[in-house]
Amino acid sequence: MTMSAITTGIRRRTVLAGVSLAVLLAASPALAQDLSGEVVILQWQGGTDAEMWKKVEEAFVAKNPGVTVRELNITAQGDARGGIRTALLGGEVVDVLINTWPAFRAELVDAGILRPIDEQWATYNWDGKLNQSWKDLGSIDGVAYGLTYTYGDRSGIWYATEAMTKAGIEPPKTWDEFVASFDKLESAGYATPIAIGAKYWAHAEWFETLLLRTAGVETAAKLARHEIPWTDPAVKGALKKYAELLAAGCCGDPATMLANEWDAASDSVFKAKTSAYTMIGMWNNARAKNDYDLQEGVDYGLLQFPSLGAGFDDTSSVDTKELNVTANGKNPAVADAFLDFIVSADAANLMAGYGYASPSSAADNSLLGPVQQIATAAVAQSKVQFVLGDLLPGDLVDEYRVQLQKFLQDPSDANIDAVTAAIEAKAAEAY
Amino acid sequence: MHETVAASATATDAERSSRVAGERRKLLATRGWRIGDWPAAWLLIAPVLVLFGIAVVYPLVETIRLSFFDIKGLGKPKYVELGNYVRLFADPAFRNTISTTLIFTVATTFVSVSIGWLLAMLCSFAPRQTLPFRVMFFAAFGISEAVAGYMWIGILRPDSAGLLNAAIGLIIPGFSHPWLGDPNTALGALIVAASWGGVGLPLMLCFASVQAIPRTVLEAAYLDGATPTQIMRNIMMPLSLPGVRVAIFINLLGALRAFDIIFILTGGGPVRATETVGYFMYRESMTQFKLGYGAAATVVLLAAVLIISIPAIIQRTAGAR
Repeated sequence: MTMSAITTGIRRRTVLAGVSLAVLLAASPALAQDLSGEVVILQWQGGTDAEMWKKVEEAFVAKNPGVTVRELNITAQGDARGGIRTALLGGEVVDVLINTWPAFRAELVDAGILRPIDEQWATYNWDGKLNQSWKDLGSIDGVAYGLTYTYGDRSGIWYATEAMTKAGIEPPKTWDEFVASFDKLESAGYATPIAIGAKYWAHAEWFETLLLRTAGVETAAKLARHEIPWTDPAVKGALKKYAELLAAGCCGDPATMLANEWDAASDSVFKAKTSAYTMIGMWNNARAKNDYDLQEGVDYGLLQFPSLGAGFDDTSSVDTKELNVTANGKNPAVADAFLDFIVSADAANLMAGYGYASPSSAADNSLLGPVQQIATAAVAQSKVQFVLGDLLPGDLVDEYRVQLQKFLQDPSDANIDAVTAAIEAKAAEAY
Repeated sequence: MHETVAASATATDAERSSRVAGERRKLLATRGWRIGDWPAAWLLIAPVLVLFGIAVVYPLVETIRLSFFDIKGLGKPKYVELGNYVRLFADPAFRNTISTTLIFTVATTFVSVSIGWLLAMLCSFAPRQTLPFRVMFFAAFGISEAVAGYMWIGILRPDSAGLLNAAIGLIIPGFSHPWLGDPNTALGALIVAASWGGVGLPLMLCFASVQAIPRTVLEAAYLDGATPTQIMRNIMMPLSLPGVRVAIFINLLGALRAFDIIFILTGGGPVRATETVGYFMYRESMTQFKLGYGAAATVVLLAAVLIISIPAIIQRTAGAR
């Protein structure tokens, strides 16, 4: 064997080894890509959520020193979708999007903005951390686009411990106990036992859980897809149950409900102490701790929606937040790595410190506070349905909320017919 | 003889008029444009034209163009001719906004201008002493509507901690009314809040008009024994009408386009009781992102603004040549 033949052999082996290594690295994006450069995250959360999000980003950068995170902040009051659309249509290029509206995910997919994450799901083995139902929740027609990183119980009712003590009652477990508690609470000085903020959307929370508890998740899902009309007896049945609540003197003057939104309702329970219960998402936990300076599980608690005995008490309404990655992002490798990080133990435990539950099996749920643990357990034991309002087309959701306001003004059977007919008329145009 | 004198006089008149006409032509010629001036003129006004084109003409043309498309969210636009306009006028929510906008615009303008006008008359009797008072009112005009909105939320809170409820509570203990939550009072409360910030401008415009009245006219009225009320009614009010007209025009346009204070105080509710065309436009365009439909509402609002503006602009600039 000549020297040149040996050299050629070595060169061949070297090239082969190099090619093999390159193939191996390419198959594993986390290793193949040098995680460096800037990743842009479209961020629209405010208050404690924004603060928590900053910590998550800092933790990610600490693990990946070559990476910088730039937030594209959208200032929004209420629904942030308008701001997000404006930013994207205006030419802003982002790598990662925070999303909480399944209908909006579909809109982004239709517009070709989102990148599927099935490959990443397999590569990073997210199946080991998230069960199939979470994957399904973030998928459209079997293709995964969203990675859920937190979820919240929307069928929980917040209560002030002091109100229960003053009224001499325990947090009610059944519908009858719940309705019966109103008189005792009124006698104890809580003139409006339930605070409902109906200025924009929070009044729909009660209807949505009542629909689940009286007709089940399948019916609610069919309604969301408009496979049954809004004039269906199931919808009217849920509204009649809501009317029962109003007739029992739960919520005071409808005009006061219409003047307030969920935050004012929360103030009535935890600050002004004029109400005992309010129903709103888990973000109220951070508000109670940070804004009212209350101790979770001591000054306030969360009771799962009282059982109605209609055969659907194992149902809950939930919301989630997911991350989407964009097709035109400048740094897809880092974006994917960020998604992997968000379901890691580090991120999940960091979020737990802020009172947010993670669906990741890597999360240590013992870090959650007592109230969040109640909510997490309730969701785990329930058949869940996403918040109805976030599943409806934009055209319809506005009409739905306005008609429910009209229902609050007049919860009679005749008005229930009128209200459901009006929503159905809009639904007929919207689908 | 008479004929000679008459003929001579006629000739002199003709010469005089011919001379005047010639001088006028000469004057006009010197004031007129020469072709050589045009490039410099265009160059001088070019920056303004460019800015005007970018900031006004382009968005306007684009809005009108968008109004012929059906755009839902981030989806592809679909040309629908006049479809958005047809749908708009068939939409009960939009029809409701027209009457709400009319009530809001007329009432806000009436309240602001009449109070501003009356205060201007009263201030004119003691201009120096009322200076701080006028400054305060005008400062309210300068405050952002968003800031004013949050202030009014504090005043109109539904519980007894609201300033208005607390004030009424001094007379009727325990009184509380959800002013912004009751559909019967929400629009009225909104009109009061919007008018509050609108008083300053009519006050200043009418005050300036009164100050422009020759002092001799007022002194003559005093000497003739006119009472302050008579002076106000018969001299100051009629002579300050040009200022009132400008104030009405400005306030009408402001009220027609009002958005911030509605967004903050009521969000168009309760049950759309305070939804004006401006707010409807925002709701459709920005929360539902139906840009074409929202643009059609914008064009309708623009037409309303033009209907008010054009006669006023023609009237205000009629003397300019």
